[in-house]
Amino acid sequence: MRLGLWPYFFRHTFANIMSNRVVHVIGLGTMVVSLCIFCAFLLLLVNLNVWVGEWGHSLAMSVYLQDGISEAERNNIHSIVGSLPGAQIKRFISKERALTEFKRVLGSQSGLLEGLSRNPLPASFEVVFNSAEEEKTDAGGIKQALEKVEGVEEVHYSEEWLDRFEGLMRMIKLVGFIIGGLLCMGVLFIVMNTIKLTIYSRKEEIEILKLVGATDWFVKIPFMLEGMIQGIISGALALLILFLGFLIISTERMYFLDLAVFDIVFIPYEYVLSVFLLSTVLGLIGSFIAVGRFFKV
Amino acid sequence: MIHLFHLYKNFGPNIALSDINLRVHEGEFVFISGPSGAGKTTLLRLIFGAERPTSGHILINGINLNRISRKKLDFLRRKIGFVFQDFKLLPTKTAFENVALALEVTGERRSLIRKKTRQSLKLGGLVEKEQAYPLELSGGEQQRVAIARAIVKDPLILLADEPTGNLDPDLTKDIMVLFKSIHMKGATVVIATHSRELLEDTEQGKIFLNRGRIFGEK
Repeated sequence: MRLGLWPYFFRHTFANIMSNRVVHVIGLGTMVVSLCIFCAFLLLLVNLNVWVGEWGHSLAMSVYLQDGISEAERNNIHSIVGSLPGAQIKRFISKERALTEFKRVLGSQSGLLEGLSRNPLPASFEVVFNSAEEEKTDAGGIKQALEKVEGVEEVHYSEEWLDRFEGLMRMIKLVGFIIGGLLCMGVLFIVMNTIKLTIYSRKEEIEILKLVGATDWFVKIPFMLEGMIQGIISGALALLILFLGFLIISTERMYFLDLAVFDIVFIPYEYVLSVFLLSTVLGLIGSFIAVGRFFKV
Repeated sequence: MIHLFHLYKNFGPNIALSDINLRVHEGEFVFISGPSGAGKTTLLRLIFGAERPTSGHILINGINLNRISRKKLDFLRRKIGFVFQDFKLLPTKTAFENVALALEVTGERRSLIRKKTRQSLKLGGLVEKEQAYPLELSGGEQQRVAIARAIVKDPLILLADEPTGNLDPDLTKDIMVLFKSIHMKGATVVIATHSRELLEDTEQGKIFLNRGRIFGEK
């Protein structure tokens, strides 16, 4: 393809967009909406990831004590636990309090505990670890170390719950991929149809171009540029709308189940670039398929 | 220059052309004549590569159109000027832009496109109308724009389908003068017409078609 033709292609492309602006605006609007949904989903996924990461860094642990330990031994355990990096002792639960809480949990079936000759529940410390961003608390190591301390019966931590939540995250990611894939296909069809409409509106011109010796690529390239420009503009607009939405939401403190939760983060710049490239490539591919189909006819 | 061997063209069950054998030499000026439906337009479209024959061969400058790739056919068309019966001008483009289109597809420099388009419009007597849109032009002027577009790329072959079909005798004369001047520059010219007056006024070669067959040559 001769370089001298490119100014013609660009002039022609912009002239064509202007002459079919209604079709392009409708196509563009639909594409922007689809990409906005896609981007919003991406934003949600990114933030869920951050939140789970933060939860992963804050580990909850229960240190159960042996029965009949002295006050001095309990204080010793308290100081050992308290000196662990990032550890914060939330509360001490005595044997009596543990039983009371257990009864409350059992509710109407708490009568089952009436026949017990002695309280089987151990006293415990509830500990929370808030580690630094990069380093995750070594829950297994702490558990092993604490279980060797005189007077400690057993140590439990919230690992199982975390694993379950990570499973949920994997499912959300999978759903995200499926929805993202469907939205990408939707965008592709929108571009294909927009370009198809512009091709049909210029059928006569294409016929004349071919009759005066234009190659297929000479006719195809302006249409492909149209699709690409549509992809670029819709990608940029969708990202801009997402950013504006993010600015509005991030100024409000988010509440979830009556709890003030996390700060919202914007999608990383790699994702911004990826969305932009994706919309551009989808525009190009959509128009390529549309012109390909037209030239087969 | 143009060589047709046992050419047949069917449109479904209808036979448009049957066993056409024809040779037009380089620099010749030929009229293809016959009544409406004789197959004149189909013959020109086959020579131009706009239709493919049902059977038989078409050689243009030694190139067999049956064996030519789509891309090479595009390039071959740049050497052939075609004046369509319905002009095929783009209503959204000016006379100048319509003529320039034939050069733009070749990727010529813009300055050269401007120069050659002006020359071509001048030859057609349309310099003052170059910024007019086809609908602002008369039938004769539109015809001359179509001719200007066909000759702007200095074609080796000029094909014209009923170029004087809707024109009055004075305009017909003007158009024929234009074709003759193009012929004088060395182009091979093939004109399809059903006009008896046009044939009577000329001493050029004539091929008579009827019901898809050649039934006479002069």
